[in-house]
Amino acid sequence: MAYRYLVGGCGIVLMAFGGALLLEQPEPWRVGVWLAGGALVHDGLIAPLVFAIAALAVAAGLRLRGVPRAALIVAGSLTVIALPPLLRPGGVANATVLPLDYARNWLLAMAAVAVITVAYVGLRACLRRAARRR
Amino acid sequence: MRFTQPPGPSITFKPRLHDARTATVIGRWLGLAVVICFATGVLSHYLQHPPAWLADRLPSRPYWGYRLTQGLHVASGIAAIPLLLAKLWAVYPRLFAWPPIRSVRHALERLSVAVLVAAGIFELFTGLLNTFQWYPWPFSFVPVHYAVGWLLVGALLLHVAVRWPRIRDHFTRRSPGTLALPSADGPDRRQLLAALAAGVGAVTLTTVGQSVTALGPLELFGPRSPDHGPQGLPVNRTAAAARVTEASLTDWRLTVAGPRPYSLTLEELRAMPQHEVTLPIACVEGWSKSARWTGVRVRDLLDRAGGDPRAGCRVVSLEAAGAYRVMEMGRTYAQDPLTLLALGLNGEVLSLDHGYPARIIAPNRPGVLQTKWVGRLEVR
Repeated sequence: MAYRYLVGGCGIVLMAFGGALLLEQPEPWRVGVWLAGGALVHDGLIAPLVFAIAALAVAAGLRLRGVPRAALIVAGSLTVIALPPLLRPGGVANATVLPLDYARNWLLAMAAVAVITVAYVGLRACLRRAARRR
Repeated sequence: MRFTQPPGPSITFKPRLHDARTATVIGRWLGLAVVICFATGVLSHYLQHPPAWLADRLPSRPYWGYRLTQGLHVASGIAAIPLLLAKLWAVYPRLFAWPPIRSVRHALERLSVAVLVAAGIFELFTGLLNTFQWYPWPFSFVPVHYAVGWLLVGALLLHVAVRWPRIRDHFTRRSPGTLALPSADGPDRRQLLAALAAGVGAVTLTTVGQSVTALGPLELFGPRSPDHGPQGLPVNRTAAAARVTEASLTDWRLTVAGPRPYSLTLEELRAMPQHEVTLPIACVEGWSKSARWTGVRVRDLLDRAGGDPRAGCRVVSLEAAGAYRVMEMGRTYAQDPLTLLALGLNGEVLSLDHGYPARIIAPNRPGVLQTKWVGRLEVR
């Protein structure tokens, strides 16, 4: 119990330190807007959208658990980190910044996820059929 | 945790996997990533902006230290992105707890979680965009990212302290809280966690090539690539951006200020004992690449100016403006035999974008402190 209060107290001290550093900024409220904005966009927009799409898929009779969910999680994770180079406006400082073909790479990554998923499902079906025959 | 639907908002969640065991397992991974990211971030901050009492004590070894820690900073931050999204997915129904506030303690607890979530999203979002040199926000990135880092790690400690009984109850598969959950969820949860691990592995493998050169061929989404750049090395600030031109360097001389000041032409510098070192450029944005550098030891230059054997120095670049035009080098770096005023890179004369005619290369230091287009050294 005492440890919990100690750790929690340390947490509050560190939060206060971070808050004090923020207040030294020229216009700290601008940071506050972006802090709150990120949470609001996630909780109010991205999360409901994900839950709504999942609900629609389930209502349409799709089975998401298991392999399809895994494929969606991997593809989604890759897409999230591919978004900044795909959406970034404006020129780059020099030719060594963002040197890759990110659109092509994203398509490659999605194709790789699809191929691995299909191969996994196919392999699993074959193994199951073989096991049943035995 | 059971989400029996109380009277309240008409949002219904199938309760499966939005439970404390799932949140605990993902939370442990995420907590580890955040702690690594925070520790390496604070280290980087102090290497880049050391307070006066620390400046002469920072270790110049291991020479690959900053490459490792800053690579870890960016890699752990990227790995935390799928983990944070999954963690928020697992606990999302708690946003609609009813009644929204039960007591003062409950209100404070929810407030601390709000700070934790906001700071977590903010740090990963701003950090990721910074690696792509994309700054859509109206504030300065470095001090704000640093400040919110403290906010995040503080809120995390508080969160772990507050939720500790639930974490402990769901810590292992056989903990009492885990056993009280529907046993049918076990395989489903393990599948979800395996998928999440695969997602973390995928984002790591497709980005880490920017700092682990051997994994370069797998890099799909990194903002830098070790293969792209003049003389086999990426560039952050070009000569054009620094307003240094070939023409402005025709009468270049290196000036060394100290008890016995002197100046040298490029020919005279080349006539001094040359040394070859293999050292990485490791950028604060996470990318790094090792290279072979040739040039004169900084400590030889300082000795010649009558600096005492424990002297540090100030390095002044020819660039017109820039936050790192004047660089302070503590004595540990200045006296390290690996620290060079480099004239050559990978067997060629330094190119203009890499700092021709002379640049600093020192071990275990952030890339912004590897000053290019050096015009003046001052013994301190």
